[in-house]
Amino acid sequence: MTQANTTPPPGLFKRNPPIAGEADALERAKNGDPDAFSKLYALHKRRVYTLCLRMLGNVSEAEDMTQEAFLHLYRKLGSFRGESAFSTWLHRLTVNLVLMHLRKKGLQLVSLEETINPSEEDAPKRDFGSRDPRLSGSVDRVALERAVGTLPPGYRLVFVLHDVEGYEHNEIAEMLECSTGNSKSQLHKARLKLREILRQNAQASLVAQQGELAR
Amino acid sequence: MIDPHSDRAWTCKEFEQALPELFERAQGGKLSADPRFAVILRDCPQAAELVRDLEYIAETARMLLEPEIEAPSSDVWSAIQSKLSSDTEAPAKVDIKLN
Repeated sequence: MTQANTTPPPGLFKRNPPIAGEADALERAKNGDPDAFSKLYALHKRRVYTLCLRMLGNVSEAEDMTQEAFLHLYRKLGSFRGESAFSTWLHRLTVNLVLMHLRKKGLQLVSLEETINPSEEDAPKRDFGSRDPRLSGSVDRVALERAVGTLPPGYRLVFVLHDVEGYEHNEIAEMLECSTGNSKSQLHKARLKLREILRQNAQASLVAQQGELAR
Repeated sequence: MIDPHSDRAWTCKEFEQALPELFERAQGGKLSADPRFAVILRDCPQAAELVRDLEYIAETARMLLEPEIEAPSSDVWSAIQSKLSSDTEAPAKVDIKLN
């Protein structure tokens, strides 16, 4: 297997504070203590799995990649030097494994930049000139999570990496092997598409409520 | 807002088209709080609505980071244990019980 790049993204340091018991478990796991590795798994399984699930949008694949990430972690634990937070290092390792998986899955012959662009029908509608109902206040994290899951893969990747995980465009560009301009453009299109999905969902929910009231 | 390339005021459409770059440069990703955009946001209500919505989506997205409510099934840990046990390249034999 190709080794995942373990260079930490600087923007994530502040978002990954040390976890109680982690440093001790880490040292013991490096020395081959199996209980310590199970402790690391318990501490980080949700973070890793949630990241995989958001990037892939599929439970089965997300579980497979979570397994891969921890197997990879076990084999590479000795190379962790503590130059970044452990969770940052594990996070980046996971992102790179998922991206490798996506490339292997269907992007072997063309660059990711080309194939992460969604088809025209998936692209957000440009509705210059029309007034829209206001979105603010009507969307909670559950609704947004659900909407993110329905985004085309390319949009979802950039949105999750930038807006949820806090990566900078230059880091995303490096990971996805695209230009920073492309990353910015994909992010904007992803947000536009989310707006469209959320407004449609809000509208459908309103119609359903009105139907209930009319009965 | 003045087009930096032509010295004339942006149209609403030009402003919307420049949003990806403007959002990237905005302090904390908040265009609506930047006084340089006050006039165009006042004059372009649709663009102002769009900016508010996109800022709201980005703000809500940050809430998705913590806490992670999803957990993998117990099968994942069983599979990891099984792989590690049979992995001859592993640095140590493991027989791990999940706490």
